[in-house]
Amino acid sequence: MDIFNNLLLGFQVATTGENLLFCFIGVLIGTLIGVLPGIGPVTGIAILIPVTFGMNSTTAIITMAGVYYGAMYGGSTTSILINLPGESASVMTMLDGYQMAKKGRPGPALGMAALASFIAGTFSIVMLTLVAPPLASFAVSFGPPEYFALTFAGLTLVSALGGDAPVKAYISAVLGLMIACIGIDAISGVGRFTFDSMNLLDGVGFIGMAVGLFAIAEIFENIEEPIKQVFSDVKLGIMSLFPNRQDWKDSFGALWRGSLLGFFIGTLPGGGATLCSFVAYAVEKKVSKHPEKFGTGVIEGVAAPEGANNAAAGGGMVPMLTLGIPSGGSTAVMLGALMIHGLRPGPMLFSSNPEFVWGLIASMYIGNVFLVILNMPMVGLWVQLLKVPYKILMPLILTIAATGIFATDNNIFDMWIMFFFGAIGYVLRKIDIPAAPMVLALVLGSKLEMSLRQALTLSHGSMAIFFTRPIAATLMIVALLSLFSPLLIRLWKRYRAQLTAA
Amino acid sequence: MKKAEINTAIVLLILSGYVVWEASQMPPSATFGPGAGFLPFWLAVILAVLAAILFGSAVRRPATEKDQKAIFPGKQALLSIAGVMIGLGVYISLIEVLGYLLDTFLLVLFLMKVVERQRWRLSLIVSVCTTVGLFVTFQLLLRVTLPSSMFGF
Repeated sequence: MDIFNNLLLGFQVATTGENLLFCFIGVLIGTLIGVLPGIGPVTGIAILIPVTFGMNSTTAIITMAGVYYGAMYGGSTTSILINLPGESASVMTMLDGYQMAKKGRPGPALGMAALASFIAGTFSIVMLTLVAPPLASFAVSFGPPEYFALTFAGLTLVSALGGDAPVKAYISAVLGLMIACIGIDAISGVGRFTFDSMNLLDGVGFIGMAVGLFAIAEIFENIEEPIKQVFSDVKLGIMSLFPNRQDWKDSFGALWRGSLLGFFIGTLPGGGATLCSFVAYAVEKKVSKHPEKFGTGVIEGVAAPEGANNAAAGGGMVPMLTLGIPSGGSTAVMLGALMIHGLRPGPMLFSSNPEFVWGLIASMYIGNVFLVILNMPMVGLWVQLLKVPYKILMPLILTIAATGIFATDNNIFDMWIMFFFGAIGYVLRKIDIPAAPMVLALVLGSKLEMSLRQALTLSHGSMAIFFTRPIAATLMIVALLSLFSPLLIRLWKRYRAQLTAA
Repeated sequence: MKKAEINTAIVLLILSGYVVWEASQMPPSATFGPGAGFLPFWLAVILAVLAAILFGSAVRRPATEKDQKAIFPGKQALLSIAGVMIGLGVYISLIEVLGYLLDTFLLVLFLMKVVERQRWRLSLIVSVCTTVGLFVTFQLLLRVTLPSSMFGF
């Protein structure tokens, strides 16, 4: 019953005129970002943070979350119509979606993408509603050792799951933690790595760094490899968008498998929407009675990844809201924004700011309805948007980013941070070092250090405190396993190879 | 890529050496558990280990097709990227001198005309629209005080 009361409270918050309006604006911008190649959800949210400062924190998070799950809807449109993913989570949708469009069935592909997104998205919010409160009340009892173990496990998981070169991801995370050390040490009051600059006493500005690493670096990458402009002249009536009975029958299994996989993998730090869509597509191909047809335009191949990436968006909110651990780049940026808004993300959020948490959750139900309405009848309009050339967008993105950075603190130094990390971010992309672990580490860094040092003070300097308390020990084992997983996998492969050779 | 990885590893090793040295200069804390230099010191040690692994695996593995390609793009694209960097750097330096409106207008014009080599007409239209649009959004709607020049705009 508690959940119903809470949800009711949430809907009261989410249905105020202002919150409804900004929920709509959020999903609208999200769809836009999803449709336009060359600007991803992380960039969109990072640029938007300064704009949300005038709002109260609930409206701000409603808007940012709208951008996040809205982008998952929008990305499918370009994948299906012009074989160009709007963002990385729609890459798998392209395989069968574009083939369906080529075979003269673009309507049902687009319709199924939107409806699968809606069904899986709503499913994951229901799961979020059910799973988050018990998890949060469990996590309230965490002390410094547990908190350190949790953050440590989050960081190692993100790095282990986030790409094919874990060493590089770990390097990124360690660099992020080092950057988090810059500024005045909160325990002893000593200035660290400030290079005698007044501006660095306060630490490196999170927004400047995130916008630099994502938005500015993305601009450089797009200059280097210009985005191809492809147009689609498909005419789509609204009735042609609805999948027929056979389509539904074919997609039913894909829908629920995609939803479940997306939600659960999405809750893992490092899970992320992209990984979820890959796994869902692979699973669907494996269980299918006709795996050879995948890639030739089967509707399950659209329903599974689209469902999974939207379910992941809901799943990703679970660790962020209950534990204060973001699951990837987009949620890390949102978490950073919440801290700037003066909230302390973590288990206490559910009891200290119920209107915030439940308002957000309720707004996601509403946002998903908005998105289906936006995406089904108006899909033709979104396709027209692709005619806006990137060369006009580039100066616009750059100046919005720069102005927004200035607006957060009226501080020109933050613009220099953006500039600096823009260059760093570009070089990191060139040498395949992922930026997400670094941003995550910066967001979590100060709390990680605080809890580490508090725990060691409690134990008079003995590391054993992390392994003698059951919850902390479990989390540390998870962390160590994921930390050494590349090594373990390699040893296992060598062992198997020896077995077959013998 | 192979060469880039080796260079990255060397840069990271130098960085971790610097952090170890800085951290060792920080005052130790006798009463309150580990001091200010504790985390940076161990982070630097971990970074050094990771850099060594990166170095070792880059040296040992056979060169792949990806290793043959230069990681940075051709001259043309590099010039454009340098153009954007310089434009942005000058923009940030001059924003308090020229004021937000003039500075932003000039940056967009520079990007359109010099970096992207568009026609004058399009460049001017985009510059004016972007500047006015941003000014209205931030200064008038969001009430941010944007920098102004000594002439008051």
